[in-house]
Amino acid sequence: MSLADKLKDKKVLVTGVTGFVGEALLHRIIGELPGTTVVAIIRPKGSLTGTDRMAQLLRKDIFKPFYGEGTEYADAEALSAARIQVIDGDLSDVPELPKDLDIVVHCAGDVSFDPPIHEAFTTNVLGTKSLLERIVETGRPVHYVHISTAYTAGRRRGAIPEAPVDHFVDWRTEAEAGMAMKSRIEEQSRSAPMLAKFRKEAEKLHRRAGHLTAAADTERRRTEWVAKRLVETGTERARSLGWTDCYTFTKALGERVVEEFSGKLPTSIVRPAIIESALQSPHPGWIEGFKMAEPLILAYGRGELPEFPASPDSVIEIIPVDHVVGAICAVMATEPELSKPEYYHIGSGSRNPLTFEQLYAGVRAYFSKHPFDLGERGAVRLPVWKFPGGDSVETMLRYGERAHKIADKIITTVPRGERTRKYARELDVQKRRLDFLRRYMDLYSEYAQAELQFIDDNVLALHNALEGDDKEKFACDTAVVDWQYYLQELHCPSVTESMRRLDVVRKKRNKALAESAGVLKKVEPSEAKVVAAFDMDGTLLSSNVIETYLWMRLPELDGPQRAGEIGAMLRKLPKLIAAERKDRGTFLRTIYRRYAGADLEELNQIVDEILAEHVLERLSGAAVRRIREHRAAGHKTILITGAVRPLTRPLEPLFDEIVAAELAVDDRGRCTGFLSGPPLVGESRAAWLKHHARQTNIDLSKSFAYADSHSDLPMLSTVGNPVAVSPDVSLFRAARAARWQIVDWKTPSTSSRLELPGVNAR
Amino acid sequence: MSRPGFVLEVDDRTPPLLVHNGEGFLLERFPQGTRVVYPPEALPPVRDVDEAIQNALLNPIESEPLPELLRPGMRLTIAFDDISLPLPPMKKPDIRQRVIEAVLELAAQAGVDDVELISANALHRRLTPNELREIVGERVFRSFFPDGKLYNFDAEDRDNLTHLGQTRHGEDVEISKRAAESDLLVYVNVNLVAMDGGHKSTSIGLASYKSLKHHHNSHTMIHSRSFMDHKASKMHHSAWRMGEVLTSHVKVFQIETTLNNDIFGGPIEFLQKREWEWSIKDQASMLGTKRALAAAPAKVRHKIFTDVRSNYGLTGINAGSIEPVHEKTIEAVHRQHLVEVQGQSDVAIMGVPFVGPYNVNSVMNPILAACMGLGYYFNSYRGNPVVRKDGAVILYHPVDYEFSQLHHPSYVDFFEEVLSESTDPATIEAKFEKQYAEDPWYIHLYRTSYAYHGVHPFYMWYWISHALDHCGDIVWVGANRKTVERMGFRSASTLQDALEMVSHSVGRSPSITYLHNPPHLLADVR
Repeated sequence: MSLADKLKDKKVLVTGVTGFVGEALLHRIIGELPGTTVVAIIRPKGSLTGTDRMAQLLRKDIFKPFYGEGTEYADAEALSAARIQVIDGDLSDVPELPKDLDIVVHCAGDVSFDPPIHEAFTTNVLGTKSLLERIVETGRPVHYVHISTAYTAGRRRGAIPEAPVDHFVDWRTEAEAGMAMKSRIEEQSRSAPMLAKFRKEAEKLHRRAGHLTAAADTERRRTEWVAKRLVETGTERARSLGWTDCYTFTKALGERVVEEFSGKLPTSIVRPAIIESALQSPHPGWIEGFKMAEPLILAYGRGELPEFPASPDSVIEIIPVDHVVGAICAVMATEPELSKPEYYHIGSGSRNPLTFEQLYAGVRAYFSKHPFDLGERGAVRLPVWKFPGGDSVETMLRYGERAHKIADKIITTVPRGERTRKYARELDVQKRRLDFLRRYMDLYSEYAQAELQFIDDNVLALHNALEGDDKEKFACDTAVVDWQYYLQELHCPSVTESMRRLDVVRKKRNKALAESAGVLKKVEPSEAKVVAAFDMDGTLLSSNVIETYLWMRLPELDGPQRAGEIGAMLRKLPKLIAAERKDRGTFLRTIYRRYAGADLEELNQIVDEILAEHVLERLSGAAVRRIREHRAAGHKTILITGAVRPLTRPLEPLFDEIVAAELAVDDRGRCTGFLSGPPLVGESRAAWLKHHARQTNIDLSKSFAYADSHSDLPMLSTVGNPVAVSPDVSLFRAARAARWQIVDWKTPSTSSRLELPGVNAR
Repeated sequence: MSRPGFVLEVDDRTPPLLVHNGEGFLLERFPQGTRVVYPPEALPPVRDVDEAIQNALLNPIESEPLPELLRPGMRLTIAFDDISLPLPPMKKPDIRQRVIEAVLELAAQAGVDDVELISANALHRRLTPNELREIVGERVFRSFFPDGKLYNFDAEDRDNLTHLGQTRHGEDVEISKRAAESDLLVYVNVNLVAMDGGHKSTSIGLASYKSLKHHHNSHTMIHSRSFMDHKASKMHHSAWRMGEVLTSHVKVFQIETTLNNDIFGGPIEFLQKREWEWSIKDQASMLGTKRALAAAPAKVRHKIFTDVRSNYGLTGINAGSIEPVHEKTIEAVHRQHLVEVQGQSDVAIMGVPFVGPYNVNSVMNPILAACMGLGYYFNSYRGNPVVRKDGAVILYHPVDYEFSQLHHPSYVDFFEEVLSESTDPATIEAKFEKQYAEDPWYIHLYRTSYAYHGVHPFYMWYWISHALDHCGDIVWVGANRKTVERMGFRSASTLQDALEMVSHSVGRSPSITYLHNPPHLLADVR
């Protein structure tokens, strides 16, 4: 009797139908088991109901041959109505099931290897339990087919029989403890010492930008820490009990749950190994989304995977998805007795092993023939793996990470400049690669060094029992796979295809980006009221507060006094720089304190007569053009600076409004060394802009801001068109992340840093 | 007696010849048969400068002697040429200082106490106090500057301009109010090249944009052939017409001085000697200078060149009525600069030096470099251009992307915004000139800072319109490709490449003329 006949008029509930295996299974049932009805539990997602998602699924290419002209069904809806019943629901809260089910295939599950511990238990253990309870409620002897994983064997070695995993871990205790971790870790993260730690780290980076920016970063750090801890806890618990990670651990405990119910329901447990793209059905090379090996294959093809901590002779148990689906169908038709659950290993290792070295050779051969076309530099150089063993790869990686850390420290301390930014960008690329390596090595090194062999006698027996052309339709004997053909002709082409398409787009986009990089779009006059806010020091002209202070004070001093003043500033420099990194406000106050006793009128006069030319000479031509462009477009131009008011005098004609630090004066017009209000830095600038916008009806989303330093991050974030001008490394990174415009406004090379107006300048 | 200028024909015995190349120089081997035009050697200067000045003031041409024009209670204004002359700047004492001191002496003797001194900078940048001091000398500076009696002309100071009327061609004559209302205007000129002086002094030096735009425009400039020959220059014709209007309102006492070609002295004297006559000492200093310049950072190199001051000997001084005085002046200038050249050639080669009229104490930006080469040197002819119609011009200059934001703010914008749209003078004039001329920011900088007027880069571009119109190919040797390309020219790495590039229009063996200046020369092309 063929499978189609055996499963005729059966109603099969499939969970996880939108997943990789579920989708392939649905495809096979519709195509090859014409008498079988599918019931799918689908979780509503966003505004889409389960039914919508099913409709979406059926619109995919692989389902198209099933409806339309020349088929029984006019369209997807007709097909769906005839063969599929959709139940909206979630496994965390399984809905009531139809009373006429014959078979349940549970292939939903968390497939990531490093889920947070509570999520792993929810889906793999508790979800399974509540599904089974619902099945029992139907009161029928439903055949329950549980899709597990071959790696429930954990860190065991050698031949693994198709039998229950041998362990004594109590799943109830573990589930309870695991679920409790969520609140425990959450609570821990909110303790004063932890919060203080997060805040200190955040402030180190963001204090200059302001308290709120630092606070936002603190909270981000906390949630990140919680997530990381939950994953770590899961992995460590799994390893402490002999499993590779939380995924296989909870999957193994899930099997225990299933086994407990095997007295009430006839139960089959299917344990596939690493499921990859299809050999034949739906079509050769078919794969959905990225599975385990794909990121590594792609990274290798891009030349970014220098080495991998695998044993060259360890067997990598890859199986094509259609074999898994074939086996599941055969299992559905093979109902075991009550209390005698059957186990099926779907792997390739025992009869047609693929070693890691062969896998590597296949992938390498593929990319040698079909390299990625990444840019104008020709094919990528493919790394040659020497398989030095896990430890030395780990050492290599650790060395790389440490080197990166040191380089990063240096790059954030050295003076900014075009070259610094270039290095920073290269470092960021390096960092991304290191993170990728770290993540995948941690996840997969266990698997790549595994020495297991999954016995698959039961599956082979299933395959051999298939009758007639079922042997073709539901083939599940992996011995037939020619791995080199599979890798080079099916799998690699299939997984790289989308990447290649994306590369073409990316190449085009990068080219466009490179052409427009550093070129600002012309300002268009707009209906709305728009402002253009500019920072001064470092943005419009290369200068800093210490320098400008010296410009202002030196002209009125004589020789020895000048030397004294410069000496005093030099002595204080380390302290000042430290203060500047911490809090710009305090830093400004320290400098401005030194204005005590200066005559404000005289300062104005010095600026007008001596400094104006110096300031104007150092103005960046591009900056002035941009300001004037804004004015011409009818925008309101605003200069927001922490510099003292007199210094902005030469720029007055360019701006509609200038917000600067006001030196407080006594009744004789002499500076007291204090400011008449707090200096406008960091978040105060953003606050000022927002308030100003509210008052004068300005549309900030259409407005512009130009600044150079990390402390201006809040101001830049408040407007719709932020521009980072010759930014420091932190702002550069933030700007790149947010895809802001980055321009380099150079101070003319003709001006000299060492020339002091009124002192040694012409 | 000094030797006259001459034309050398390059043969196999000719050593490599010196070519000016911005802040530096090269020794170049020219193809055999190249004609090299050498300026006359420096004329002997007058023996007693003070005596010559006295003589000119007391025995003027077609005018009463100066003392007779001076009387107590009168308004006397002394205008003088600004820092754009002479080039390079003159060693102290500046000739203008000596003339002004003599004039002031006579004025004091006559009991004149309402005296003002104006730097006739038209739309040029204001001079800094130090620069004014260098021109008029410490004594005059101290007596006049603190009281505001020595100042820069401000062409945008509406309240201090006077419209004197229109010429018969309808051109507005608007000049400094003080000058217009003076009982006597004494103009102290330095006539470095044939273009300067005459009616150009007052009618242009003290005029406003309204007045200047009648002759500083692409149409007039293209028809000024050349600027160095006022009788064939449309721009000068206009200035002369304005001069007629001006002199009918104001009594002008013109003092014109002419200088000789003694430009490079001391260790760089070899720059004005003929290469095959270089002594051991000259060769040593040439090598030393070359090496030092190559090793020096750009800023040091710039400083070295900015600090160059020239000896200059006075070859003549004439005073009195503008036109007859200018006749005499031109005679003297021609004596010093004129070189007879037989016929035009297919290719003209010129080395653009480190300084032009508008980058004294500043940097020569790409536009100024173009103007220096194609405006000034190209126009250094009388009769016909050195290069034939549709011939090629090859220039030497690095043409770095370098602008002084203080002195040339509108130049940067002109380069970025205007030249990126068009390089055609007439198009540029029609589309952009008004906007730049009336821009309040440029006007602000012109009036209060040390910036050239917003419209000034346009004038530079009009200066070269005759060359653009006349020449087929313009190629720069060793120049920054990007900047040169923006200006619509091409760049070659070597002279050989440049000749290769122009060969499609002038052939494989073109006739070549190399203008070996500075020192200045005026090619009299027959």
